[in-house]
Amino acid sequence: MSGRGIPFLYPTRHLAGLLCLLAAMWYAGASQNNPAAYSLLVLLTAAFLVSIPYTLFNLTGLKVTVGSVKPAFAGQEVSIPVEIMNEGRIARHTVAISVPEAGPAAETIDELSAGKASRVTVRFPASSRGEHRISWLGLTTVYPLGFLRVGRRVGVERRYLVYPQPKGDPKLPTHRRRSAQSALEMSLGEGDDFAGVRLYVAGESQRHIDWKAVARGQAIMTKQFATESQGLLYLDFAALPFSDPEQRLSQLALWVIEAERARRPYGLRLPGTEIAPSAGEPHSQRCLRALALFK
Amino acid sequence: MSPGQQETRIPRRPLLWLATALLFTVPPMFGTLAPWVPLTFMTALVAKFWMERKGVRLRSLVWKAVFVAVTFTAIILSYGSLTGIEPGLSVFIILMALKILEAHTAREFRRMLMFGWIVCLSGFFSSQDLTVALCEFAAFALLLTALIQFHRGSSRVALWPPLRMAGKLLIQALPLAAILFLLFPRTSGVFRFRVPFSNTTSSGFSDRLSPGSIASIASSTDVAFRAEFPDGAAPSLGSMYWRGAVLWQGNGLEWQGGAPAAVSGATQLPAGERIRQRITIEPHGERWMFALDRPFEAPAGAVLAPGNCLRGERELGSSRRYEVTSYREIHEGELRGDERKASLQLPAVVSPAVRELVQSWTSENEDPRAVVKAALQFFRRGGFRYSLSPGEYKENALDEFLFHRRSGFCEHYAGSLATLLRLAGIPTRVVVGYLGGEFNDIGRYFLVRQADAHAWCEVWLPDRGWERVDPTSVVAPERVSLGFNSFLAMQAASGEPGAATGQVAALGSSTQRQFLHDIRLAWDSAKYAWDTRVLSFDAEAQQSFFTEIRMDDVAPLLIVVRTLLILAGVIAIYAAWMRLRSRRRPDPVKALYERFCRKIARLGPERISTEGPADFAARAALLLPNESEQIRQISSDYIALRYSLGPGILLEHFANEVNAFTPHGLRTPLAPRG
Repeated sequence: MSGRGIPFLYPTRHLAGLLCLLAAMWYAGASQNNPAAYSLLVLLTAAFLVSIPYTLFNLTGLKVTVGSVKPAFAGQEVSIPVEIMNEGRIARHTVAISVPEAGPAAETIDELSAGKASRVTVRFPASSRGEHRISWLGLTTVYPLGFLRVGRRVGVERRYLVYPQPKGDPKLPTHRRRSAQSALEMSLGEGDDFAGVRLYVAGESQRHIDWKAVARGQAIMTKQFATESQGLLYLDFAALPFSDPEQRLSQLALWVIEAERARRPYGLRLPGTEIAPSAGEPHSQRCLRALALFK
Repeated sequence: MSPGQQETRIPRRPLLWLATALLFTVPPMFGTLAPWVPLTFMTALVAKFWMERKGVRLRSLVWKAVFVAVTFTAIILSYGSLTGIEPGLSVFIILMALKILEAHTAREFRRMLMFGWIVCLSGFFSSQDLTVALCEFAAFALLLTALIQFHRGSSRVALWPPLRMAGKLLIQALPLAAILFLLFPRTSGVFRFRVPFSNTTSSGFSDRLSPGSIASIASSTDVAFRAEFPDGAAPSLGSMYWRGAVLWQGNGLEWQGGAPAAVSGATQLPAGERIRQRITIEPHGERWMFALDRPFEAPAGAVLAPGNCLRGERELGSSRRYEVTSYREIHEGELRGDERKASLQLPAVVSPAVRELVQSWTSENEDPRAVVKAALQFFRRGGFRYSLSPGEYKENALDEFLFHRRSGFCEHYAGSLATLLRLAGIPTRVVVGYLGGEFNDIGRYFLVRQADAHAWCEVWLPDRGWERVDPTSVVAPERVSLGFNSFLAMQAASGEPGAATGQVAALGSSTQRQFLHDIRLAWDSAKYAWDTRVLSFDAEAQQSFFTEIRMDDVAPLLIVVRTLLILAGVIAIYAAWMRLRSRRRPDPVKALYERFCRKIARLGPERISTEGPADFAARAALLLPNESEQIRQISSDYIALRYSLGPGILLEHFANEVNAFTPHGLRTPLAPRG
């Protein structure tokens, strides 16, 4: 992810202060025919001019790598892990990294020695539910004197999800639904009776992996056990009494979290989508994702 | 800094840099401002160091008001008002002190930094001496350091890196600054505002003689001017008479200007050796300028006053450099009426004893030369003594000096001789200036101090014109031939009373203190360089510089454009260099390893970006059993080279391994096709 954006240079508002100061020095030198005042004037001017290349090349030769962006709930913060590697031969100072597409918040790396890498996490508030896209990062610097700012765009291509903000009544709905297939009235997961196998999902407990099948060279499967269900919990979009769909989504998101916390299997019904009851991290992510992308 | 960070507290270290920088601006203030102002400023700075440590700052509005009220009252009491340069500067400094005590945000820090630079600048209003300049430039550099430190955020090391960065910037800025200084068009005297000269009390040269009222003269080590002889032909010290002013109107020992109304219209014919001098004169607030006896043409910005002395067109408020040509002799045809009258004017009262003395000379021989000779003989044989502290002569000063005390310095001798010769009917005038100087062999120039001030006479000889007669040379020949300092040292050595021993010790002949002497010479050379290269480079000097480089007929705008082009060129060079240094440097180890991975990839196993070298080696070795040994070896070498500290695998060895690695079934990359 090492975009080689063209650097652009623009003055900061402190440049106006510098120009006023230089004008004052010039006036003092000219009005009194005072060469010493001129000497200060030219020295300050020259120091400023010489600092331009320092600012300009404070951003070149940096390799920017962006890690994957974890989903966040609306109202919380999105964190983008960024690694900057200094591949040049001179140390860099005070490089600010921001995501201009998402907001002005910037994270500053104070010092980056030659050949070293530094990691920062750029955070910004997750605004609205849905899938968002970042196409570039902004690197800026004003080092060393702060009168000029150099910026560079680094192309990155990252998508991240923002889940609906969980809010509403934390109490899970209690209604039970008896369906015709009574066999399904069990919750799958941890229990006493073997109920079959399903594909292993990375991140799950390895306790129930069917190791014999693995040894046979088959795919990694997890054995499932069933217990007598407390009743299937379906989180149903249509069943909610709110008129605002966002409010409904928020309530559903809260229930997903609550059900997950209570370790109760739950299913999700959205108009046009149904997610079969289950539990566990991948399931909750799947549900939240569905909520985030709901249109 | 992003806008959001503007209101954060100032990090401590930049603030301490700022305070340190401002401490350097304090010493020059003592010369101009009421001493309590810099003392208050310094106290505030020192207090800031303490307060920062404790995390305290001046918050209370009441205390600020009290501070302002007290200090402003003190300013009014010290100066009588709040307006004017010195009170204005004092107000500025006091407010700056207050700001330092209360400042705590980043925005305030920047403002303080800007004001700090103005404090630097204001130091030059009072004095542009090298000592002051060094203080101001040190402050300037430290302010730059503070700014750099401010932008470094919380980088770990605080002391050297920002200093080094500031040093680097300044060293690279020097050529640009020099170009700007030389070429950027100056304007002068267009504006009204001028700081009055406050520091121009010099105790040496004066354009009047009043030796009677001076009990003793202190030998001031202040510099009057420095002179170079570009043609290399320096006259001997004893004949190095620097002409300053001519005094026509005499009253015994007292002499003053009184030049004849009309400028001498007689044609002057220079004769003898032609001596070119480059003189850098210290500011003294008056118009007189100096040149070797006798200048023939005035340099730009000066005129040749009657009696061949230089006069500036303006008061010399700043150091000035000029070139002037003098001749040993200048022949003049005749003495015009008003000039003759002015040079024969006599004091109102002349005692009979004095008349008798003069008559005794003229009765022997009427020839002016003989009379002058007799007069000098009188001073040589009459028991006269050269003394810097002859005491005051009040009533009948001339008689008292000639017949009783017979003790005095050059002004007594020049004044009395001129009066005596006029009584003898010989047109005479007194010339004041300097005699001799000290050669600085580091800077190859002569340093003339206020202590070298001298007075002598000129008499009119009908066939020659004005000719110099120095009575001091017969009373104290060493004063003339050795120069003032050596003369003083000699007197001190021989226990002569009246020599200012303290001054002599400082000035002393330096056979034993060669080292100190060298340091002093070097320091003075530096001052001279500062004076000649910087201080005297004003609008006029710039114009003559343009003439020298044949840019005098170029429009100012074009000069600005050319200057900017040159600057842009220099910056482009810097930028190219910076670009080279900031560019990505290919890591040779990584490049070799990537080459190794590419070789393996041709046989199948490709390294996944998240796969570590050890994992990849294990996997690849499993898949390529034939090459497994080599793969493991190269990978472990790579890991050692990359991640282990201390001596291990040489890069060269690793390169050979990678280059030699040829997976089974593949040609070596270097093998010819076929």
